Amino acid sequence: MPAQTVIEKLTPLVGPEKAALVDYAATGCHVRVEAQPEQMPAVAAAMLAQKFFLESLTALDLLESFEVVYHFASYDELCRTVVHVPLPVGTEVPTLSTIYPGADWFEREVFEMFGIIFSGHPNLKNLILPDDADFHPLLKDFVASS
Amino acid sequence: MMLEKGLEEKTFYLNLGPQHPSTHGVLRIVLEMDGEFIVTADPVIGYGHRAHEKMAELRTYQQYLPNMGRVDYLHALAYNQCYCMAVEKLAGIVVPERAEFIRVITSELNRISSHLLWFGAYLLDLGAFTPFLYCFDDREQILDLLDRLTGSRLTYCFYRFGGVPVDLDDDFIAGCRAFIQRLRSRWDDYDNLVTKNVIFIHRTRDVGILPPDLALRYGVTGPTLRGSGIPYDIRKSEPFSVYPLFDFEIPTGERGDVMDRYLVRLREMEQSLRIIEQALDKLPAGPIMAEKVPKRLKPPEGEVYIAVETARGEFGIYLVSKGDVKPYRVKLRVPCFSNLSVLPELIKDTMVADAVAILGSIDLVIPEIDR
Repeated sequence: MPAQTVIEKLTPLVGPEKAALVDYAATGCHVRVEAQPEQMPAVAAAMLAQKFFLESLTALDLLESFEVVYHFASYDELCRTVVHVPLPVGTEVPTLSTIYPGADWFEREVFEMFGIIFSGHPNLKNLILPDDADFHPLLKDFVASS
Repeated sequence: MMLEKGLEEKTFYLNLGPQHPSTHGVLRIVLEMDGEFIVTADPVIGYGHRAHEKMAELRTYQQYLPNMGRVDYLHALAYNQCYCMAVEKLAGIVVPERAEFIRVITSELNRISSHLLWFGAYLLDLGAFTPFLYCFDDREQILDLLDRLTGSRLTYCFYRFGGVPVDLDDDFIAGCRAFIQRLRSRWDDYDNLVTKNVIFIHRTRDVGILPPDLALRYGVTGPTLRGSGIPYDIRKSEPFSVYPLFDFEIPTGERGDVMDRYLVRLREMEQSLRIIEQALDKLPAGPIMAEKVPKRLKPPEGEVYIAVETARGEFGIYLVSKGDVKPYRVKLRVPCFSNLSVLPELIKDTMVADAVAILGSIDLVIPEIDR
């Protein structure tokens, strides 16, 4: 069962009980992981070693803090793994673009939309917004004009 | 932005786009050229950004439905379906089987129309004008059928939470069956006109090879990935709706070049025809809408990730609800975003003419990337 293997590989990296099975029928994911920002490069390397690709990378503005959310999936077996990384305002999370080059654009999008800094990113600048845009539209306190 | 890196003496910069016919939308690619050869490529996106993800947070669940037809306007029904599935899962709405069949039939018709448009437009990129006239003739039949049912020819907003609003009638079913016969009779024409054309073969064979491990690192999906021999199709890998009831194959390529991606799409259309045919044969009777779907939808707190297979690859919605009438966060994971990000690797060290052939073979819809 691939979900068990993922949990076995990730538990030494993120600590006991941080990686667990979740109800696929309710959430669309098989494994849910909670990780600290500095653990992410090791987690990503472990996922790549198991032939997972980075499906999605995004963030949530939880008002007092952020949460960076990574989805991993596999071409071979159905086992979606979601990794939640709580991130206090003003802290940084290491880039995954050296492990998954596909993360480069995802991280630039999260950077411009939320203002989250990905440390070590080779080219952290606006992707979709204009180069000179200094606002972060997906923050909850950003008011869109009517 | 291009001057930051500093020009090397022997190279120069060339702008492909943002108003170039071969980019099929407002996409700009900054090419660093050494004579005819590309040294580096840097796609510049965002010209068509409409803030679909922000709009989701400002609208109710129902009000956001029409946005889904406008992210990827060529396979809008798959986007409709994914969003409806995500909300239905969160709210615990069960869709009647007949509605699922209607969703599959219309979504597969839409997939064929998207592939036909790609087929015509791609051969235009390569300089062949005639195939465009043939496939647009065929595509027109699909648009007429879907127009009858949904009321629109593009940017469909047809599915509802809990089912579909309009049932299939006999004319639609007869029209559908006639279309299947018609398109099947065309495959030989397409093969003779294009697939066996020696100029086309020379332009596409062994050009723009995408190795599977590179695809994995970039998260490439869809026909672009399957051309490289990986049979990853959400309809089989993570079956949704009523797809498990149908017998169909996932065409894959061997070399991962432009030709393989072309062949995968061509064969996929026949598989879609098979799905539609079986769905029409097995179409069950019954209601087309779930009962008692509240007008003011307030899904309970929770989060869900749902993926569907669109004409271009995996479209996923990460939907977070805090129990409000509006979604807390909607992340649209669009296939072309990841598929385009691998392009600089594919067109490095090729000539501009090949770059156009490779760019077209990814089947980009730019508004989908920009969202």
